[in-house]
Amino acid sequence: MRVGPLALTAPAAVGLLLFFVAPLVAFGVYSFLTGGLYEVEAPLTLENYKEVAETDSNRTLARNSLVVGLLAATFSVLIALPMAYWLRYSAGRWRGLVLFLIVASFLASYLVRIYAWRSMLGRNGAINRGLESLGLIDEPLDFLLYNRFAVTVALVHIFLPYVVLVLYAGLAPLQPSYLETAQDLGAGRLQRWRRVVLPLVAAPAVSAFLFVFVLSAADYVTPQLLGGTSGVMLGVQIQVAFIGTGDFAYGAALAFAMLAGFLVCYALIALGLRLTKLDRVRFVS
Amino acid sequence: MSGARRSPITGVFTIAGLVFLWAPLLLVFLFSLHSTGSLTFPFEGFSTRWYDEVFSSEEIRTAARNSLTVAISTAIVTLILGTLAAYGLTRTSSRLRGPLSLLFFLPITLPGLFIGISLLVVFTRVEFSLSLLTVTIAHLVYVFPFFFLVARAALERLDPALEETATDLGASRWTVFRRVTLPQVWPVLVGAACLAFALSFDEFVITFFVIGPDSTLPMYIWSSLRRTIDPSINAISSLLLAFTILLFVVTFLLTVWSERRRRGRSLAEDPLVLTGPAEGAA
Repeated sequence: MRVGPLALTAPAAVGLLLFFVAPLVAFGVYSFLTGGLYEVEAPLTLENYKEVAETDSNRTLARNSLVVGLLAATFSVLIALPMAYWLRYSAGRWRGLVLFLIVASFLASYLVRIYAWRSMLGRNGAINRGLESLGLIDEPLDFLLYNRFAVTVALVHIFLPYVVLVLYAGLAPLQPSYLETAQDLGAGRLQRWRRVVLPLVAAPAVSAFLFVFVLSAADYVTPQLLGGTSGVMLGVQIQVAFIGTGDFAYGAALAFAMLAGFLVCYALIALGLRLTKLDRVRFVS
Repeated sequence: MSGARRSPITGVFTIAGLVFLWAPLLLVFLFSLHSTGSLTFPFEGFSTRWYDEVFSSEEIRTAARNSLTVAISTAIVTLILGTLAAYGLTRTSSRLRGPLSLLFFLPITLPGLFIGISLLVVFTRVEFSLSLLTVTIAHLVYVFPFFFLVARAALERLDPALEETATDLGASRWTVFRRVTLPQVWPVLVGAACLAFALSFDEFVITFFVIGPDSTLPMYIWSSLRRTIDPSINAISSLLLAFTILLFVVTFLLTVWSERRRRGRSLAEDPLVLTGPAEGAA
């Protein structure tokens, strides 16, 4: 009977089925086809996945992706946590301004932010020149740019504002008076964090962590601009397969192997939350 | 209320975080005003030559025009399809509710790389030539979940009694939507469309795969980052930043204004709200 409102969702649903789900399925099927140059053909095969697994360089790329993804996600959450806490409980009249600065930096162009770190970390960049003029170094530091470190720093810069906002929203239900109550009942600073704040933000923190991890590990732009030769990641290799070498089937297998890796990480983290019962912490006011 | 709790450690983190976020951007802005082509210190004086260069470059103007075309088309189509979808989904009790919500949310969960390549795969397969149209299609997929989530949240917050009353008084469904629902939520919807615009305007990761011979601003920046660095990049970047901040301020003001209007109305109708748990926000 109530077909009316449901019909309104049809245009968007058809659009997404046609331009998101179907292409994704086709992309997946490609990974099981026999590869040619810029094309694929039958028969179905597992050859591509075998090749992905047996290529040594892929292991290095996967390790780089994993390390950069984990580091970027960890640092984003660790830096964002105190920032969100401060915004929620200590900001006072500064809250509006600081929130504005965080969101505004979030809106800065993705490529511009990567580029900005090149000017910060380069041989003649702001950090080297700054340290030189302070007399702390004589020679510019070369280990700042074109490696995994530079990629990680830029990715933390890109995702930090998002994580702060997610955690800040996560703290919203915990009113300052509850922290005061905990304090009055004798809970010290550490205990308040451990027993009150952290369990409450665990779920949003984990979802933000996963978001940053996946987007960082799959990034192909930052490693190309800041990673140099030692910081190459899986995404770059996938991009090259589709734009450079034209080996579609192999690229597809690499992409879906990476996706499988993400799903494993996701399952592990979900399991961890379940075991520590943190997934069931809800705020009841 | 006692106001802010003192928390010096988290305060230090916040200041450090803000410096970390803004120092690189301010550096780019500073060097956009540099009088020489040098991209590093020492800073040798101010000039607007790089801005002049940006405004007089035909290549950049074309790229900016393309970016605007794509972002505006994306925002308008998303506004229409997203509003329909969010409204339909919040007003139906069909069993398809769950699966559809999932479908509308799904593109956000995948890295852009997957959206870009899978569309590239299909477009080349059916020999659909790559153009700004394919870019727009890809952007629609990418921004849809963001718009949908905001729109659905806004529509769910509405008081259903208002719509029911209008229906009981004999208004058609379309009239109810136009005269009752839309006046309450349009600022949020326009704000979300601005978000769609901003996301599309800056999109690179997906665009790269489906663009063909045309250019957009992010594509232009990308190609000049791959070549020898052109100092006018600093000026383009600063202009982009100023533009997105302006867009954000407009969106923010719209949201605040609509929230005030909504709250003002419910306060007038229901004085009990005033006695509810008030929080000591500054």
